[in-house]
Amino acid sequence: MKHIEVMVIGGGPAGLCAALAASSLGAKVLLVERDEIPGGQLVKQTHKFFGSEKQYAGDRGIHIGQMLLENVIAEQDIELWTDSTVLAIYEDGVVTVEHEGKHTKVKPDRLIIATGAAEKFLSFPGNDLPGVYGAGAVQTLMNVDGVKPAKRVLMVGAGNIGLIVSYQLKQAGVEIAAVIEGLPKIGGYLVHASKIQRAGIPVLTRHTILEAYGNGQVEGAIIASIDETWQPIPGTEQKIPCDAICLAVGLSPLTELAWQAGCAMAFVRELSGHVPVVDDLLESSRPGIYCAGDVSGIEEASAAMVEGRLAGLSAAFSLGYEANEAKALQQSAMEELAELRAGPMGQHIRDGINKVKLKRKIGNHAFENQTEKSGIVKDYSSDATNTCRAEIKTSLINDGIPTKEELDAIYPSDKRLTEGPIAIVECFQEIPCNPCVKACKRGAISMLRDINDVPVVDEELCNGCGLCISLCPGLAIFVVDKSYSGDMALIKLPFEYVPVPKSGHFVAGLDRAGRELGRFEVVRVTSGGDKNKTFTVSLAVPHDLVMEVRGIRIGEQAI
Amino acid sequence: MKKSYDVVIIGGGIIGCSVAFELAKRGRKDVLVVEQEYLTSGATGRCGAGIRQQWGSMLNATLALESTHVFENLEEYTGYDGDCGLNQGGYLLIAYTEKEWEQFQKNLEIQHQVGINSHAVPLDCIKEIVPHINTDGIQGACFCASDGHADPFHCTYAYAKGAQGMGVEIVTYTKVTGLKVENGRIRGVATTRGDIEAKVVINATGGHAAQMAMLAGDELPIFPERHQILITEPVAHIMNPMVMSFHRHFYVQQTPHGSVIMGMGDPNEPVSLNTKASWQYLEHNAWVVTQTLPAFRNLRVVRQWAGHYDMSPDRNPIINEAKSAEGFITIAGFSGHGFMVAPRTAILVSNYLTGQQDSLDISRFSVERYKTGELLLEPSVV
Amino acid sequence: MKNRDAEIMICRCEDVTRETILKCIAEGYQTLDEIKRVTRAGMGPCQGRTCRQLIAAELSRHYGMPMEEVMMTTFRPPVKPISLGALADAYEHERTGHKHEKIV
Repeated sequence: MKHIEVMVIGGGPAGLCAALAASSLGAKVLLVERDEIPGGQLVKQTHKFFGSEKQYAGDRGIHIGQMLLENVIAEQDIELWTDSTVLAIYEDGVVTVEHEGKHTKVKPDRLIIATGAAEKFLSFPGNDLPGVYGAGAVQTLMNVDGVKPAKRVLMVGAGNIGLIVSYQLKQAGVEIAAVIEGLPKIGGYLVHASKIQRAGIPVLTRHTILEAYGNGQVEGAIIASIDETWQPIPGTEQKIPCDAICLAVGLSPLTELAWQAGCAMAFVRELSGHVPVVDDLLESSRPGIYCAGDVSGIEEASAAMVEGRLAGLSAAFSLGYEANEAKALQQSAMEELAELRAGPMGQHIRDGINKVKLKRKIGNHAFENQTEKSGIVKDYSSDATNTCRAEIKTSLINDGIPTKEELDAIYPSDKRLTEGPIAIVECFQEIPCNPCVKACKRGAISMLRDINDVPVVDEELCNGCGLCISLCPGLAIFVVDKSYSGDMALIKLPFEYVPVPKSGHFVAGLDRAGRELGRFEVVRVTSGGDKNKTFTVSLAVPHDLVMEVRGIRIGEQAI
Repeated sequence: MKKSYDVVIIGGGIIGCSVAFELAKRGRKDVLVVEQEYLTSGATGRCGAGIRQQWGSMLNATLALESTHVFENLEEYTGYDGDCGLNQGGYLLIAYTEKEWEQFQKNLEIQHQVGINSHAVPLDCIKEIVPHINTDGIQGACFCASDGHADPFHCTYAYAKGAQGMGVEIVTYTKVTGLKVENGRIRGVATTRGDIEAKVVINATGGHAAQMAMLAGDELPIFPERHQILITEPVAHIMNPMVMSFHRHFYVQQTPHGSVIMGMGDPNEPVSLNTKASWQYLEHNAWVVTQTLPAFRNLRVVRQWAGHYDMSPDRNPIINEAKSAEGFITIAGFSGHGFMVAPRTAILVSNYLTGQQDSLDISRFSVERYKTGELLLEPSVV
Repeated sequence: MKNRDAEIMICRCEDVTRETILKCIAEGYQTLDEIKRVTRAGMGPCQGRTCRQLIAAELSRHYGMPMEEVMMTTFRPPVKPISLGALADAYEHERTGHKHEKIV
């Protein structure tokens, strides 16, 4: 039997941060990860993260994972078991692990469950045909194993995962027939939707998959429009030939261990399923057991990292480590979480957390005492609820393409446009993200209240240098220069495909829906650097098209 | 659910449901079964569901033999359209001590007297029955080809649906919270869904039976004991019979589905209603079974769970009408073999309640035996 | 529309289709626990990780009861299959005080 002060189950973003936080206060930590390489979903997330600097926003998930792992390995107080799966939590507090092929018992003083989530499955005829994948599986095949999973894919689900994986499939040279979504609006960040729309991938809301067909493997799908009651509308059926169907229909918290441990559980739709009920410090109803990350409600990885940190601090703190410092650190982690959840995209999380809290107060008195003991009474989630935020109500929410009104509202004055280059930030949705603000050394990009605000460009301060283009995680910033020449204007775009065009090449210029507007000369290509990996491509286009061209295509492939 | 019934049966396991069926079959159809969760949620759904006729006492051997005959045609008998999953692959009982082997030989005589087709297996023939067995240390073995295993869920549902077809009512997720006794007679039960009057109340609550009987002022020597089971992933068929050792306290069997199911008793298990599984059991059972069946080392466990034996002092059922409450009958204390003797027990009890003749004497099962010393001693229990 | 429930897989481990699940519900089974026992859905190697929610949704739909009220099954250990050999070795390890000798 191995004894340890803090045991962390799961080496994803939450688990890695939990282990680092607990050890930073002095606790001895055992981190158990079922995969060979810790990082959880981070190991395949080749896109840049949103959030703020504190959650490493602007860095690609894969790099964040590597950095966290390096820190964990460098920390002497963290013992890391990889390729090791926690099997069960028993009533005597013993946690069993399959470690190096052995049935190993661990008795931790504190336990942090950070097991993440599993992909949801959908029921439709043919749903067990080879070629029906979870989007996560496809992402692993591509980005971890280097396998191109299909030639032509139908993506089901326009949440962040569906949108991001579609983009990455496109980057891998896979054709995306369409992204379909049952809801009347796009659930993921609209900048992701805009990004794939201008690459020519249609996003169809209020559509569902009726069936997958094929002889022994997927050969196509039949999709249809649905009405308000989710019933298919007769006559709208479409046959979509494809060799893979990717399901990105949401995640469910992976809670088996929390159930086994006897943690109080509740079904909370907003948190995507059954979740362990936790307090502000992320302790469950079973004293000494903490839950962090997707296991206690599906959110972005940025929130998972902060939750992990908070749980790690709380566990170490409860063992008596660094009492004063810990409280301040806990406080700031809770503030970060409140900030990440403050926007309209965090509404459901706030609602979900509030629901569970309510349930707990009625149902579990022992647990309430536990919360009181912690001495922290401020309710951040309800603070966030009070913040009034605007939701997108235009067609942008349906297709990811901004309307003329929305664009007109953010365009600089005609006078400023003629004076020289200036950044156009096509970011309309209040999401928790602010790398652009940090990117601008002149302070030309700002946000009113917090990271959920849409960025505003000061047309006097911006000199159109274009540094922000490759630093925006949403690839939503462009620089327009109408002073370029008498005939032509310059558009600078972010670019993340291969091959990279060279100056002097003529490429197709595409509008926001991926339609070709003509062939234009590339006048300059700059690299964002080895780590950033986003190129900035400058294209000379006629003056009247400079507000329309937002993507390019080399050869036949729309990009 | 009505306000009043002829008979209320507390407990929707194999005992409660089979008694309901047999009563209805005999014309007592105004019966209500009250189950606190869902049918089979207690010991029945957690048991190994073995069917063994190789017993060491005449009474058990008879109960088991005649129950097996019912299991052999249970679908037809109850009119069930599902499959009760009976698989008669036999039981191979192995003796690891001289004393045990002597007992086995005595048991065989008793079994033959009641007509059970069991036989001793010469040591060099054991591998013909179970090719993968490690025969080290085995002193002797017995085999009965018509022993086997059935699906406890489907068997119970077969009885339940058969009973319902004859007019019996079953309510689930309803807990009996009290018993109404007046002038030394049972009058009904109090439940979480209201009071119900009844002329006869049957206590078929397994490990909870003593607690339940106390509500009628009846003190019974029945106590719950946790027993644990594990099951592996399904693999190709490699073993037909159940293999069982009393000395090593284990049984193991491959189900028709391909999973291998095994359990073992712990002589030091305390009395409790705990149904949590333990890691100690998991390791111990794996070790014990792989000593005898090393080929199973590569099988992977997918699930483990625990349930209760309703233990009695002589490890045999107690069928007892309460002195303190006439009409309140407890059927419990099966000590781990309730499933396999349920069909015949239900017939016995129903014959008694409908005034019909039975070849077995029901009074032998009363608690009086602990006073008179006429115990139902059974030498062969895991 | 033609009933295609037999082509909809709910439990991939045990090959249980939507048709089987709906038949069970129509027969009066009301809980995940009962359906699991009658059909084996959720008893395979993944222990219901995929199908549990799908069956819960069917129950919710049929009985018009919110998902919040659909009772979950018991979550039994282990969450991932482990070999009897590894378990037996762990017992042997403790029994013999860290020596690996085989005792029958």
